[in-house]
Amino acid sequence: MQAFLDTLLGDAAGLERQLGYLAGMVVFGAVVVFGFVLPFAGIVTWAERRIWARIQSRVGPNRVGPFGFLQWLADGVKNILKEDIIPTVADRPLFRFAPYVVMVGFVGAFVCVPFSGDLIIADLNIGILYITAVTSLVVVGILMAGWSSNNRWSLLGGIRAATQIISYEIPASLAIFPAVLLSGTLSMQGIIGEQGAAPWQWHMFHSPFTLLGFGLFFTAALAEGNRTPFDLAEAESELVAGFATEYSGMRSTLFFMAEWGNLYVIGALVTTLYLGGWQVPQFTYNPVLMNLAQVGVFMGKSLACVFFMIWLRATLPRVRVDQLMAMCWKYMVPLAMLSVLGTATMMVALPNGSHTLRMATFAVVVGVVIRFAFKVRFHLKRARKLDYTSLSPGASQGLSS
Amino acid sequence: MSAVTSWLQNVTTSCSTVFEGLSITFSHFFRKPYTVEYPDRMETRVQDTLPFRYRGMLEVDLEICTGCLACERACPIECIVIDTTKDKATRQLIINRFDIDLAKCMYCGLCSEPCPTGSIHHTREFEGSDYSLESMMRRYVKFPVAAYKPKKTAEDDPEIMPVLERGMRYLDEYAQPEAKPASGTTSSSDTADPGSGPGGAA
Amino acid sequence: MSVELEVHDSQGLATEEMTLNMGPQHPSTHGVLRFIVKADGEVMRRAIPDIGYLHRSIEKIAEKVGWHGFMPYTDRVDYVAAMACNQGWAMAAERLADIEVPRRGEYCRVIAAELSRICSHLLGVGAMGMDLGAITPFTHAIREREMIMDLIEELCGARLTFNYMRIGGVAWDLPHGYVEKVSHYLDHFEPVIEEFNQLLGLNRIYVKRLADVATVDADMAIAWGLVGPNLRGSGVDFDVRRDIPYSVYEDFDFDVPVGSGEMGTTGDCWDRYIVRIREMDESMRILRQALAGIPEGPVIARVPRNFKPPVGDVHVKIEAPRGEQSWYVSSDGSEYPHRVHIRTGSFTAMGIIDRLSRGLMIADLVAVIASMDIVAPEVDR
Repeated sequence: MQAFLDTLLGDAAGLERQLGYLAGMVVFGAVVVFGFVLPFAGIVTWAERRIWARIQSRVGPNRVGPFGFLQWLADGVKNILKEDIIPTVADRPLFRFAPYVVMVGFVGAFVCVPFSGDLIIADLNIGILYITAVTSLVVVGILMAGWSSNNRWSLLGGIRAATQIISYEIPASLAIFPAVLLSGTLSMQGIIGEQGAAPWQWHMFHSPFTLLGFGLFFTAALAEGNRTPFDLAEAESELVAGFATEYSGMRSTLFFMAEWGNLYVIGALVTTLYLGGWQVPQFTYNPVLMNLAQVGVFMGKSLACVFFMIWLRATLPRVRVDQLMAMCWKYMVPLAMLSVLGTATMMVALPNGSHTLRMATFAVVVGVVIRFAFKVRFHLKRARKLDYTSLSPGASQGLSS
Repeated sequence: MSAVTSWLQNVTTSCSTVFEGLSITFSHFFRKPYTVEYPDRMETRVQDTLPFRYRGMLEVDLEICTGCLACERACPIECIVIDTTKDKATRQLIINRFDIDLAKCMYCGLCSEPCPTGSIHHTREFEGSDYSLESMMRRYVKFPVAAYKPKKTAEDDPEIMPVLERGMRYLDEYAQPEAKPASGTTSSSDTADPGSGPGGAA
Repeated sequence: MSVELEVHDSQGLATEEMTLNMGPQHPSTHGVLRFIVKADGEVMRRAIPDIGYLHRSIEKIAEKVGWHGFMPYTDRVDYVAAMACNQGWAMAAERLADIEVPRRGEYCRVIAAELSRICSHLLGVGAMGMDLGAITPFTHAIREREMIMDLIEELCGARLTFNYMRIGGVAWDLPHGYVEKVSHYLDHFEPVIEEFNQLLGLNRIYVKRLADVATVDADMAIAWGLVGPNLRGSGVDFDVRRDIPYSVYEDFDFDVPVGSGEMGTTGDCWDRYIVRIREMDESMRILRQALAGIPEGPVIARVPRNFKPPVGDVHVKIEAPRGEQSWYVSSDGSEYPHRVHIRTGSFTAMGIIDRLSRGLMIADLVAVIASMDIVAPEVDR
């Protein structure tokens, strides 16, 4: 950020320069929060509904705006206008306060989320640690909401969320280590700086252990973000709406904004740690163009992660609460340990890394993707074509598809 | 040792089944959606795509109603009320009242089966929501009318003829399965317009 | 809410038992079921079913609407699979009056009933996935169900309350080109089941959620009067269609799928799931045979409009999608039945839930309800 501002500020010095930095951060922070984070949370709801719809042979929202894109805005306006009901038996102060705590925990993470080589609100030297800490604030908010609603479903939801998020902090943090070890820094920009633009230069492909770390971090982040298959906290078929059961109108919207916005945080973290962040080949020396390309690459990778999460949610059932714990402690924590130790061993054994190993790991992943493509082709071929409308009695007149 | 193998097996099966599931859901991106956008974005109205046998809202052609009360007797919920009197002078049956309470009707089709002329029949209209129960009451007789009397010879009244023809065709296709001899595995009760399928027969 | 009893943990600290009210409006109680759940945190001590929210006195209505007029009401007994209830009532009346149904009529009945069975099982397994958090299989199941609905709609003019069968046969013959249409559809449907099972049934998370949960062994299933897929899921090889043949089922060659504990113990929730999936396959086999072998002839016997069966009692069993459905009909020779009693599969399945729920988790209760495929209107009638 500072370097970028330097080029903009020219030769201002002293206090002026410091004020310039501050102004730059505040302006950029405001742009990020109001211009990106909040709309993004809404847009993801639209994207999720459209993607689900296609997976489920449906059309999805397509009436408001082109492809129904403005649906999120319409929903947001509707939610703002709705009556805000607070149950009489609820603990009023806590009940009103909880959504804001959740929001703070979620928006706070964006302080350290990079967008390009220069665009980051503040590149803290403990960046990744800061994000882990701040996102934990969400638990407090959810627990507050669950408790203060004075509803047993809410309470169960809140407790589930708390146990889940706290437990999964451990594999998530452990799975951060391989990337941190490889980079030797906790700073987000530092971690990205250690990786390269080409896929095999990413941390993910450093060795099989980092590949494992990538998978584990992604899964644990899903659990921390309360996403399917770990969406126990608001499991609608079990707990009605979990901790958000008693919330209505804007307050419930805040919860869901945090939840969907969190997808981007998860995507950005995964991108930063394992997917090479904003790294692009140096194709120009114009800082603005360079930054734009980096923003594009970073966003593309993060959004691909978000897409994957949405897609996963449309595919998988939900685990049970004891299985969730078993999965965390019996499977993910040992595997995360293995990943950390393995990476450390690799670093000792091959201090400069092994290009062959990188390429081999990369080849494995490419192989999996190709296998996947063949699977998809198999499923498409197996499905016997049926002109749906031919079943309809009015086939002769033609139903619109 | 078995604990370790089962542990590993759990991990691998989890991964492989999730992989399988993901490939299935992904393949749906390349398939067409099945749903239609009712009601405003359809090429044809839904009503026109329904089969001939569709049991929509009831309708009565008073011109060919014989006043035999078969439908009233068949109705299990008594949503049909018919009131007839015999005109002493002309020896004609006068229908004073023919009400169908569509709010009560359960669209079972038992009334249209015994009708001798196909006067009471189901339409393919189903959008019947309304703001008051009273408006769901269909009163077909505005003022008393003479009941239709089937003639010995073929019907020659040009006004009644098309109505009766439609009614009889309705009966053929819908209401009297036992009257028709089956003529093959694909034999159907809608022989009226086999080319365009049953939907086109109406 | 009242505290039923105090629970002491190992340190002797008193904790309160939590009473949760699950339903009648709850996302996963299909229809309006209600469970009073006594829970200790996530673990249930009991789940007491509270029935009667959908009671419509259908049995009493039969005594008022007459023999022919009751047929549309049987649609409402179990509106997910109305064809089976239609058939039960028609068979009871036919047996009372000793009416022979024409063979083509019987074949039409079998075709309709098996289509309806596939419909019902699709909803059952789809909703099961939905209850366990998998949203996509549900819509896939509903998509297929919708297509079968289109087929049934063409056959009888309605999508849910079919009212297709009549005393003495069926109301309408198969429409033009129906055999080809159904065969064409079955060709399409075969791989869909396979795909559905790969997407949902074999998924590790799904298997783990269901295997070894709420196990009902064979003796227990018989003792509690479970019927249909729930009974077969427990490993009891009994199907009314095969063992007490009715209609023309003895003409067809089909297997009775039985749960064998492939993923856990015999009689767990997963077995009940897979039995339903395999029953759809068997239904398809029956359908293909029925479509190929449908004879010529009328579809309905001559039955007077003013139907008055002789005095007597009759007990008819049919295999409905939710298990053996028994119809006890008593006639006093008048134009109205003297007494009608329907024993349905969901009712007994509802009874065993209290027993099964002890010690399970709240999330498991949802799985148990779904795996029993309980449909609320069938419980109360």
